[in-house]
Amino acid sequence: MNTVIPDVALIDNSDERAPLVLVLDCSGSMQEEKKIQLLNEGLKALAADLKSDPIAARCGRVLIISFGGDGNVEIMGDWTDAMDFTPPELMAGGLTPLGAAMRCALDEVESQKSQMRTAGVSYKRPIIMLLSDGEPTDDWRQVAAECKSAETAHKVNIMAIGIGDQANKETLGHFSNKGALSLSGLKFKELFIWLSRSIRAVSRAPAGGTVQLNPVDSWTRLST
Amino acid sequence: MWRVFSASTTGKRNLERGAAGQDATHCLVTDDVLVAIVCDGAGSVPEGRTGSDFIACALVEELSSTLRADRNLTQVRADGGARLEATIRCAVEAARTRLADLAASRQLALHDFSCTLVGCVASPSGGCFFHIGDGFAIARGAAGDCVLSRPENGEYADETYFVTDENWMNHLRLTPLPAPERGSVIGLMSDGTAPFAVDRARSGFFRPFIDPIAAFLREATTPNGNEALRNLLESPRACEISQDDKTLLLAFVL
Repeated sequence: MNTVIPDVALIDNSDERAPLVLVLDCSGSMQEEKKIQLLNEGLKALAADLKSDPIAARCGRVLIISFGGDGNVEIMGDWTDAMDFTPPELMAGGLTPLGAAMRCALDEVESQKSQMRTAGVSYKRPIIMLLSDGEPTDDWRQVAAECKSAETAHKVNIMAIGIGDQANKETLGHFSNKGALSLSGLKFKELFIWLSRSIRAVSRAPAGGTVQLNPVDSWTRLST
Repeated sequence: MWRVFSASTTGKRNLERGAAGQDATHCLVTDDVLVAIVCDGAGSVPEGRTGSDFIACALVEELSSTLRADRNLTQVRADGGARLEATIRCAVEAARTRLADLAASRQLALHDFSCTLVGCVASPSGGCFFHIGDGFAIARGAAGDCVLSRPENGEYADETYFVTDENWMNHLRLTPLPAPERGSVIGLMSDGTAPFAVDRARSGFFRPFIDPIAAFLREATTPNGNEALRNLLESPRACEISQDDKTLLLAFVL
């Protein structure tokens, strides 16, 4: 008798998810110098670049949290697989509740991890990328300390990035053990392409190891 | 009432380093009561393979003999399965004790035999999945409804829990099973098989995977069916998706 089963299809769920939370400043000052438009264009580039890579499209899980605007801190839709990610059109206005936004990001990361664990889905260490062009207008010190200890406990990787010269890099630096970087010349698109390539690298890396990311000089000025 | 097929194959990762496969599966049907186990030995310990084979074998023996002595244990409707669950806990405890004796006789620790456990007791009146660590168990009813026992991993991929852990009781997960109906199927698998056999939402078998297998096995003899499952697990596509050892046990209700 034949011992090859005909017509069996195998799905490929072997990949591990790479969660990414973007915490984006949409305060009033983001209207200046078309920053909000450039940010929106950058997000579109991120979506397109993630989708163009089959592994990143399957592995990436994206959530956007905006702060500023009318609603203060807003979770823009649900977590989505990179292959289904359509960026929202962000509007600028209002204050800069950066602390509350980062608190929300930490909570969302933990709840997403617990959902994935329940579903038996394995995952890489999540990344939170914080982008801000100003000063927090809320109480941020306690949350910043929690961000650093979450990093120390290997719960999350945090990248804090200041937009333009008005950003308070010193404050932003308190949110990550790696300090803050500056986005030079409003190169949002370069930043998000770099981020997409980083997600590609993370999705391909074996579990438990470290990943060498591309150099960041396409979008930041590094002091020497 | 049951027709059981199984296969266990060594993954590329172990083949390349000349190591034995770490998965093991054992199963016994006594008077319409199915006891089936899949274990996966940890690759990081010296006796993972011995551990998985020993636990799978010992648990089938322990459970089958207890259930044979007291048929009422599987009458889960009477007490919500509490007595069956207690029986399973005792059997795991007994199997661990026997493995600890073996370890001691070889001057090794129980930890050196670390393995995961996916098991099932199923009788005509119902049953139970019991599970420590990764791997996957699915009971699919004739109408397609599924009862699942999903993997429990640590914080990140590649971290899981073992029968041999000190605090195994905290990670033993019991899932009651309804009385099996004709046309239903129970599947147990190790973590090397789940990535291509379970659907993306982790809500049951991937239908284009299980349906052709079920159709084929319905007509197959046991040796042929087992060989066909082995061929499937060793197929290039399966090995491309997972480099890990792969085990699949399927029990069909006639």
